[in-house]
Amino acid sequence: MAVRRVANYQADLSSVLFETLREFDLPVRGKTVLLKPNLVGLDPLGMMNTHPAVIAAARESFLRLGAAEVMVGDGPAMDRDTQAVLESIRLREFAGPLSRFFVDLNTDDVERVLLKTRASRLRELYFPKTVRGVDFLVSLPKLKTHHWAGVTLSLKNMFGVIPGSCYGWPKNILHWAGIDRAILDINAAVRPDFAIVDGIIGMEGNGPIQGVSKTAGVLIAGDDPVAVDSTCARIMGLAPEKIDHIARAATFLGHIETQKIRQLGESIASTRTPFAVLEAFRHLRQEAA
Amino acid sequence: MTFSEEICLPYLRAAQNPDGGWGFRSGSQSRVEPTAWALLALDQVFPANAASEAIARGVRFLSDSQLPAGSWPAAAGQGQGAWVTSLACWAFLSANENRDALKRGLSWLVAERPGDSGAWWRLIRRLTAHKKVSMQNDAYWGWSWTSGTASWVEPTAYALLALSASPLDLLPPQAGSRQKLAEGMLFDRMCPGGGWNCGNPMVYGVPGEPQVSTTVWSLLALREHAERSEIQESLAWLEKNWGSIQSLASLALTQVALNAFDRGNSAFSTTLERLYEPDAISWNVPVAAWAALAASGKKFWLQPERAEFKN
Repeated sequence: MAVRRVANYQADLSSVLFETLREFDLPVRGKTVLLKPNLVGLDPLGMMNTHPAVIAAARESFLRLGAAEVMVGDGPAMDRDTQAVLESIRLREFAGPLSRFFVDLNTDDVERVLLKTRASRLRELYFPKTVRGVDFLVSLPKLKTHHWAGVTLSLKNMFGVIPGSCYGWPKNILHWAGIDRAILDINAAVRPDFAIVDGIIGMEGNGPIQGVSKTAGVLIAGDDPVAVDSTCARIMGLAPEKIDHIARAATFLGHIETQKIRQLGESIASTRTPFAVLEAFRHLRQEAA
Repeated sequence: MTFSEEICLPYLRAAQNPDGGWGFRSGSQSRVEPTAWALLALDQVFPANAASEAIARGVRFLSDSQLPAGSWPAAAGQGQGAWVTSLACWAFLSANENRDALKRGLSWLVAERPGDSGAWWRLIRRLTAHKKVSMQNDAYWGWSWTSGTASWVEPTAYALLALSASPLDLLPPQAGSRQKLAEGMLFDRMCPGGGWNCGNPMVYGVPGEPQVSTTVWSLLALREHAERSEIQESLAWLEKNWGSIQSLASLALTQVALNAFDRGNSAFSTTLERLYEPDAISWNVPVAAWAALAASGKKFWLQPERAEFKN
């Protein structure tokens, strides 16, 4: 996986991402790609959702790699007016007319999937057909703390593929099944092929909605979502081994140990930017581990 | 021709699927929620002969989709009922159709309790009071999105709208007490200063931000309490938010609520035409239905006139 230092959203993100993706030899030529950003709700201040500059740059990069089609799709959890969410982040200014590439996963056609894993009480979930039918799935979250899960990164981001038209706003069935366990079941059913984390400006404190912005100045990318999240956590000054869903995911979805993660670009030590966490999550801090 | 006649009606008619239902978009899977909205709009806004066959087919789709327990699922194949039951009941009421199916649906709705209604759950919340992150009065509860999960604002508002539109002889005896509890829940979950979000007015001591759709449904569900300060504050928030609206859905829903309180915005039609784009992101079946209901300028559709049931 790769860590790239990026000062701000005005940087040449397309070049940074394209050069990063080229190092992974991704099998996307001629394929359909779905980028799944973290679009929670209205975000006029731009600190809650994946930044549109990152979304646009990722889309452009995958097209340059030869993807036949690059869609962007999400099912915002807290506001069912997806157009309002997209307009609040000005996505069309960065990426062009939305109808050409955006899929509202909340109202997409769905199909029933029997879950392969039994981490939670859930036995089945309905998934959008777009997610199930795409060749290459990219989780594109923002680097944030989370007031229930500890952090929300590429694994937790996959909550957003679950359609609100089947489960509501929010998708409370996932919380009642146990957030950390539901994260595992979802990622086992639709494991992201790649993850790109917008850590240029993240969120600390009472994330994922009501925290404060935190400049981390990084983009983190990799083909192992557990390794990506583990690295993100370490950059945030947190111990991934203490974050329940990451630690459990490491048993079957990817790698958590640094010695098993091939690291490109910047080191964790040089990019470490401790994020403030709520009192309930103080135990996640690396110095407390 | 009006916007409704020129744009909404043809779109809704063309978007109906061969099975009689509507999907969220033209050509997508038939689902109960968009079908209910399409039926409400076609039935309440347009002349009787404008879409009678489409309405009949849509009602048949809803009848065929009802589960044995009396509820409706959010997606075909789901074995459990969900919040869309309220919308299906409302559509049946509007069409004066299928009294028996409606009665079963209303019975299920009144009997269906959310996960946070249980004494055990409330005890656990009381015992862990020091860890409470969301401030709410657990004595009040309403309806959940899916079976056994917590009460939230929107499904609660839908249930109240369906129940208040129903003839008393179709309602189980417990309906009145459920309505009172649910109204209490909505008032309790209002965001400080007015408006509603999904149901988190305060988390870790930080006030939640209101949202248009949940504010609209709550206001409509609580419209009998127009004199209360919470209603007036929330209407004021909607009016103040008008200038920030960037989507057709929010525009239409805002006007729907304002109309219900005789405060419709005179700029609605011009704003609607300015924002209108016939693309899949901004324009879909529910939005077309809401736009038609808003453009009608009327509030009668909230309490459909009840003629004799046709069957």
